[in-house]
Amino acid sequence: MATRSEAMAPTWKEGSVTSWLTTVDHKRIGILYLVTSFAFFGAAGLMAMLMRIQLSHANAGFLTKGAYNEVVTMHGTAMVFLFVVPVLAGFGNYLVPLMIGARDMAFPRLNAASYWLFLLGGLVLLSSFLADQGGAQCGWTSYTPCSSEEFSPGHGQDLWILGIHLTGISSILGAINFIVTIHNMRAPGMTWMRIPLFTWAIEAYSVLLVLVLPTIAAAATLLLLDRQAGTTFFAPEDGGPILWQHMFWFFGHPEVYIMVLPAMGIISEVIPVFSRKPIFGYKAVAFSTIGIAFASMLVWAHHMFTVGMPTYLQAFFAATSLTVAVPTSVKIFNWLATLWRGNLIFRAPLMFALGFIGLFTIGGLTGIMLAVFPFDYQAHDSYFVVAHMHYVLFGGTVFGVFAGVYYWFPKITGRMYNERLAQIHFWILFVGFNLAFLPQHLLGLMGMQRRIYTYTQGGIFEWYNVISSIGALLMGVAMLVFLWNAVGSWRSGRRVGPDPWGADTLEWYASSPPAPNNFDSVPYVTSARPLRDLRLRLRLQERET
Amino acid sequence: MPRKLTASVPVALVLALAGAGTAFAAPGGLGPPGPETPSGQAISRLYWIVLGLCAVVFVLVETALILFIVRFRRRRDTPESAEGPQIHGNTRLEIIWTAIPAILLAALAIFTFTQIPAVQAQGVADEAHLTIRVEAHQFYWEYRYPGGEVTVDTLYLPVDEPVELRLTGMDVIHSWWVPALTGKMDAIPGRINTLRFVPDTTGDFDGKCAELCGVQHAFMPTTVTVLDQSEYESTLASQQEELGKATWEGACATCHGLDGQGDVGPAIAGNGTLSNPEALRTLLLNGQNTPQYDYYMPPVGRGWPPEQFEALIAYIKSSKTLSTAPAPTTTGGGG
Repeated sequence: MATRSEAMAPTWKEGSVTSWLTTVDHKRIGILYLVTSFAFFGAAGLMAMLMRIQLSHANAGFLTKGAYNEVVTMHGTAMVFLFVVPVLAGFGNYLVPLMIGARDMAFPRLNAASYWLFLLGGLVLLSSFLADQGGAQCGWTSYTPCSSEEFSPGHGQDLWILGIHLTGISSILGAINFIVTIHNMRAPGMTWMRIPLFTWAIEAYSVLLVLVLPTIAAAATLLLLDRQAGTTFFAPEDGGPILWQHMFWFFGHPEVYIMVLPAMGIISEVIPVFSRKPIFGYKAVAFSTIGIAFASMLVWAHHMFTVGMPTYLQAFFAATSLTVAVPTSVKIFNWLATLWRGNLIFRAPLMFALGFIGLFTIGGLTGIMLAVFPFDYQAHDSYFVVAHMHYVLFGGTVFGVFAGVYYWFPKITGRMYNERLAQIHFWILFVGFNLAFLPQHLLGLMGMQRRIYTYTQGGIFEWYNVISSIGALLMGVAMLVFLWNAVGSWRSGRRVGPDPWGADTLEWYASSPPAPNNFDSVPYVTSARPLRDLRLRLRLQERET
Repeated sequence: MPRKLTASVPVALVLALAGAGTAFAAPGGLGPPGPETPSGQAISRLYWIVLGLCAVVFVLVETALILFIVRFRRRRDTPESAEGPQIHGNTRLEIIWTAIPAILLAALAIFTFTQIPAVQAQGVADEAHLTIRVEAHQFYWEYRYPGGEVTVDTLYLPVDEPVELRLTGMDVIHSWWVPALTGKMDAIPGRINTLRFVPDTTGDFDGKCAELCGVQHAFMPTTVTVLDQSEYESTLASQQEELGKATWEGACATCHGLDGQGDVGPAIAGNGTLSNPEALRTLLLNGQNTPQYDYYMPPVGRGWPPEQFEALIAYIKSSKTLSTAPAPTTTGGGG
C-alpha cells in the first residue's frame, strides 16, 4: 500500500493553501467539514441571539418585523442544513474510515465534491439575505402559498431553494460514499456485529439521507418551477399547500433522526470508554438504531395534526410516533446500564454524554406528549414545540456533538484540549440551555405562538421570556469559552500519543494525528473492541517475557 | 464533595423553575389555558394524564442517572485504567425494558383514541348547530354568519349553542387558535376545515394566528365574544352598522396605521386611491407588489360581499383624516 500514499504525496505539502483546496484525503475533508459547519453554527447562533434580544421584553423594536421573519427562517434552515447535518458528515468523514480500518473513503474525489458543494450551498443560502425585497421569510418549512411568487416576491425564496438543492446534492453524494465505504472497506475480521456503534449510526444516517433527501429536492424543484416557470404544482385549488407539507415532512421528520442518530452513536462510543466497561447490549443498541430509522419514515404527518386530516390518519400517525419511543427508551436504558458499576471518569466527553442523556430524555418525553394529538391541537405551533425541538436537537444532538469534539480532539489535532475550560464550557452551556428552553414549555402552554416577532403581555409571561433570553446569552458565552479552548489547544495544547483515553476502537490505533495513509497495517479484528483486545494481548505478552 | 454539589445543580434548577412556574402562573403555564368548553376540558384531562405518565418516567430516568453519577464516579484511590465488571448485556432485562414502554405506550394510544369524540366535539355534527364561515386573510379574520352578517376580527357566538366553524385561507395558510375554547385548526387556501365546539360560558376569549403567515403574523388577533341568545342577535345586528370601521381597523390599519399614517405599509391618508371606489376595489381584490417598498400589498378584499366594499368606502369618506389629502410638505423634492 506504500504506492498509494506515494502517489498522493504531491498534494501533501503541509501548510499550503492549495493542498487544502485540492485535498481528497478523508481526514482533511473531515476537518474542512467540521470547521466550516462550526462557522455556520456561529452565524446561525448569532441569529438566535438577535431573536432572543428582540423577544427579551414586550413590544421590543430591536429587529424590524420583516427582518425577524428572515432571521427565523435562516436560523432554522442554517442550523439544520449548514450545521447539524454537515458537522455529523464531518465526524463521519474523519472517523468512519479510521474506525473500520480503511485507508480512505471509497470515492475520495466524490468526497471532495460533497464538501465543496456544501460550502457553495451554504453561501448561496446565506446570500438570500442580500436579495431584493429581503431574504426567505416563511420559516425553515417554507410552506406554500407563503413561499409562492405571489406572497414571497423577490429572489430571497429562490436563493433558499438553490441553497437546499446544493446542500442536498452534497449530502446525497456523501451518504452514498459512506454506505459504499462501510459495506466494502471494513478491516479483516470486522463483521457487522463488530463495527463501532458510531459507524452503525452513520450507516443509518446515510440510508435515511439517500431515501428522503430526493423528496425535498423534488419539492424544492417544483416550488422553483411554480415561482419561475408559471407551473401550478402547489396551487391551492389543487390541494397544493397540503402536498407541499407532505413532501416536506416526508423528508423533514426522518431528517430529525438523521440529526439525532449519529449523536447517539457518539454517546455510545463515549460512555463505555469513560465507564471502563463494554456497551451494555451492543446488539440492542445497534438494532434500536435501525428500528428508529425505520419507524422515523412512518411518522411524518404528526407535524400536520391541525391541517384537517381524517381522524383515522391522525390516529395512525400518533400510533407510529409513539412507537419511536420504544427503541429510543431501549437506548437510554442501555446507556444507563453501561454506567452501572463502571469506573466513571469525569472528563468533558463524559460530561456532555451524560448531559445528552439527561436533556434528551426531556425532549423525548415532550415528544410523547405531542404525539398524543389532542394535546397537539393546543401545543402545535406554540413555544412548547420550540422547547421540545431544542431539547432534542440542542440538548440531544449538540451536546452529543460537543462530546464528540472533545473525545476526538486529541486524535484530530494530536493535542489535548484544556480540561478546565471544557468543564466551564459544559456548566455554562448546561445552565444557559435550561434557562433558555425550560421556560419556553410554559410559554407555549400560556399561548405564545411560534415565530412571532413580539408580544404585548407583561407579568410572568414577560419574565419567562427574560429568563429565556438570559439563558440564550449564557449559551453564547459558553460558545466563546469553547472557541477559545479549541483554537488555543489546537495551537499549543499538550501533545498526546495514539490513545490518550484507553479507548476501544481502531481510530486510536493510528497515530495522533493519523498519517496520510491512516495505518500501515491493521490488527485482525476479533470483537467490537479491537484496541482493548490488543492492549490485553500486549499485557499478556509482557507478563510472559 | 464538590462533585455531589455539581450533580445537584441541575436538579435544583429544574425544581426551582417548576416551583416558580407553579407559584406565579398556575394554572396558566403548567397546563393548557383554562378550558371553557367540554372539548377544551377533554384536551386538558388528557394533558394531565400524559404529563403524569411522562413525569414518572422523567423522575425514574433522571434519578438513576444522578445516582449512578454519584455512586460510580471514580474514587481517588482507583486508577483511571481500572475496568468495571465486563458485563456485555442481559437479554432478559433488555426484553423487560423493551416490553414495559411498549405496553405503556399502547395503553396511552388506546386511551387517547377513546377521547377523540369528546375532543373533536363530534356530537355537534348530529344536532342543530350554528355554522359560521371563517375566512383568514393577511392579517385579519373575517366571520360570515348564516344570515349574511359579516364581522371582522371579533366572532360573536350565542352561549350553549353548538357551533361549527368552516375555516379557509384566502391567501396563505393561517391557523385559528383560541386556547381557552379548544385546540387550533389551520385555515388553508383551497380547502375547508371544520372545527366544532360548544361554548358554555359567556365572556370574551382571546385568540391569535398560530401559523407563520407573513410580516404581521404576530398581530393577527381575534376575540370570541360569547353572549346570551337575545344579546347575541341584537349585537350581531348592531355590528353590521359598524362594518366599515371594523374593516378599516382589521384589514387596513394593521399595516397602514389607524389614521393611515403608515407602518409596515406606506402612509395612505388622503391618497387618491382611497377616494376612487373603482381603483380601490381593484387594489383590494388583486393586491399589488411595488418593489421599492419592503412588503407587498396583499389582496385583502378577496371574497368580500359588495356591502363590505360599500361600508369601507363610506367609512373612508366619513373620516376627515383619511379622505383629505395631507398638507403638501415644503421641504424635499416633491411636486
